[in-house]
Amino acid sequence: MGRQNTYDVIVIGSGISGGWAAKEFCQKGLRTLVLERGRDVKHLKDYPTTNLMPWEFEHRGEVPYAIKEANPVVSRCYAFKEDAMHFMVKDTEHPYIQEKPFDWIRGYQVGGKSLLWARQTQRWSEYDFEGPARDGFAVDWPIRYKDLAPWYSYVEKFAGISGNRDGLDILPDGEFLPPWELNCVETYFKEQVSKNYTDRHVIYGRCAHISNPQQIHLDQGRAQCQGRNLCQRGCPFGGYFSSNSSTLPWAERTGNLTLKTDSVVKAIIHDSRMNKATGVSVIDAKTKRTTEYYARVIFVNAGTLNTNLILLNSYSSDSPKGLGNEYGLLGKYVAFHNYRTRISAQYEGHKDFKTDGGRPTSAYIPRFRNVKKQETDFLRGYAAGFGSGRGIQRDYDGFGEQLKENLSKKDLGPWTVGSHMMGETIPKETNYVKLSDTRRDQWGIPQLSINIDYDDNDEKMVKDFIEQFTEMYTKAGFTNIKTSDSKQAPGLDIHEMGGARMGHDPKTSVLNKWNQLHSCPNVFVTDGACMTSTSTQNPSLTYMAITARAADYAMTQMKRGEL
Amino acid sequence: MNRRHAIRQILVGSAGILIVPSCLEDRTKASFLLKNYELTGEQEKMLAELAETLIPKTSTPGAKDVYAHQFVMTMIDDCASKEDQLKFIKGLDAFNNFTKRNTGSSFLEASMSKRAEILKAMEDNKPENSEAAAFYKRMKSLTIRAYTSSKFYLTQVQVYELVPGRWHGCVPVNQSA
Repeated sequence: MGRQNTYDVIVIGSGISGGWAAKEFCQKGLRTLVLERGRDVKHLKDYPTTNLMPWEFEHRGEVPYAIKEANPVVSRCYAFKEDAMHFMVKDTEHPYIQEKPFDWIRGYQVGGKSLLWARQTQRWSEYDFEGPARDGFAVDWPIRYKDLAPWYSYVEKFAGISGNRDGLDILPDGEFLPPWELNCVETYFKEQVSKNYTDRHVIYGRCAHISNPQQIHLDQGRAQCQGRNLCQRGCPFGGYFSSNSSTLPWAERTGNLTLKTDSVVKAIIHDSRMNKATGVSVIDAKTKRTTEYYARVIFVNAGTLNTNLILLNSYSSDSPKGLGNEYGLLGKYVAFHNYRTRISAQYEGHKDFKTDGGRPTSAYIPRFRNVKKQETDFLRGYAAGFGSGRGIQRDYDGFGEQLKENLSKKDLGPWTVGSHMMGETIPKETNYVKLSDTRRDQWGIPQLSINIDYDDNDEKMVKDFIEQFTEMYTKAGFTNIKTSDSKQAPGLDIHEMGGARMGHDPKTSVLNKWNQLHSCPNVFVTDGACMTSTSTQNPSLTYMAITARAADYAMTQMKRGEL
Repeated sequence: MNRRHAIRQILVGSAGILIVPSCLEDRTKASFLLKNYELTGEQEKMLAELAETLIPKTSTPGAKDVYAHQFVMTMIDDCASKEDQLKFIKGLDAFNNFTKRNTGSSFLEASMSKRAEILKAMEDNKPENSEAAAFYKRMKSLTIRAYTSSKFYLTQVQVYELVPGRWHGCVPVNQSA
């Protein structure tokens, strides 16, 4: 094996978890190869739209019809607009098979979807890790909150999380930079909810934005978030956390990082005599030439479903169904977040007040259903966002000077409020991904076939969300309440998780409590594929903490000569 | 500035030196290349006049100054379905026919006051649910979009802040920003 192709560690993927793996290994002196299937995106340099004014977009933000027609899946994503569509995979470029409708939203470039994420960073709590064991679904998580708590703190300090210390056991506090203020009506609703309910809380939505830069952030070259709300373009201030602005440049500065772009991982190379992986087989996206790279430890951070694909495609004579798939579990028990339902309303109060400027987050309502005990006819529950604002009421009447005059008016409309549900879904064997037997991509790799759907539990949860939020809104005096169920396909939540779940027992799980494949301990999976259950919180912060923890463990084991 | 505006400016700019702009205007073609449907130079002029009638130049810029009709043409070209493009062109003709029937001349030839009468009829939803009315509605909404997202509007009328750099969650309405 070529010395020049040998590293201490290989990290597959440069997104939010791969970036963390790269940083952890590089800063501890390990020679690390990061493989990214897409093109390079350098912080600042490769954000072509970041400082464009609205009138500088030829279609004022709209995606041309021909692109929408050719790419219906990605066109359903809220972030697929003229200013950020270059960071998102077009359906036509990377086809997959939908046995059932599944909107697979992807970002194939350095930084992955960390450029585009919603940046909400709520910790999991003990209630979340205990969930499967208590409620009898999936398998027991092999870790608990206390195992992850120090690692949450570790990643929060570096990433920069703005938050308020709320003292809630359902959503533990973290290492917070100061919060931005809630606005008048969010504060009003917070007071109303705490008056009307003992177990429901409206809090500030914790987010990965620097409200007050600390030395560690300045050292990364990042500055304070300016409230532009144009994050999807890439931030010229480094105001929000992404691999591009934070972990990857940090790793690069150590001199230990090798980043290879246009590197499509075909499979992990497995040596059955030694029962370990020796490296990975990589196809150059452009030349289609195959190269092998070798390392002592491999971290798989390709993004939930692509991580499943790589493991499934890493078959050999001893593991004919894929690496880590001795018991036929790989690719199964995939779950996601139920984001179907929204509620909106108006509030006639606080008419003498408005907001001024911009901020990157709004309010958040942690799960209040079935927290301490089972109390409904469905399992688990949902969290929700809550936001309010006041826009200028545009008057489009008339024509000529009258219309012009109408368009110059600055009268504010009423406060509008809105929430969206973020429901936990239950991982099931019948929600799975597998390799297509017949269809391959342009590199000869089998396409992924996806079979994921809602179930009765999800339907009941939708109904309950509508009932409970209608009640909460009504009690707060909101009017003109409207609810909607988009019935959007799974996937559009962009929170697909599982397929290589963690657990105690190799017969019922793919990964152990340190994220090692039970059957091949020098392969670690620390992206969304490792998730045993989904809880309700936006998952990225948990991926970061799990990755840092697993990397630390891997390095300890390497030092001991165990890996 | 988008590429079409740039081309337009080059044409106008160079025309100013030697050629009278009207000589440049091919009577059969629009001033820039449309990829997915066709408009004549005449139709383009008519869209420009209609946009200007909707949002006229006063002491401040009007629709023509912000190239509103070119934005409309671009949006119909790039962001509308084939079906919507056909509807737009048919509607444009229907609108012109309606104008002729009611004023005796085409919209381009009609006087300012006649043009205003036509728009008044459209605002009052006469003719009802017709192709002409649908065209007018589309044209008006795109013209408004062009105007309210123009540099002039977003720097002079309702100022767009690329970098707010501040946040106050609850300030009195009367307090200036």
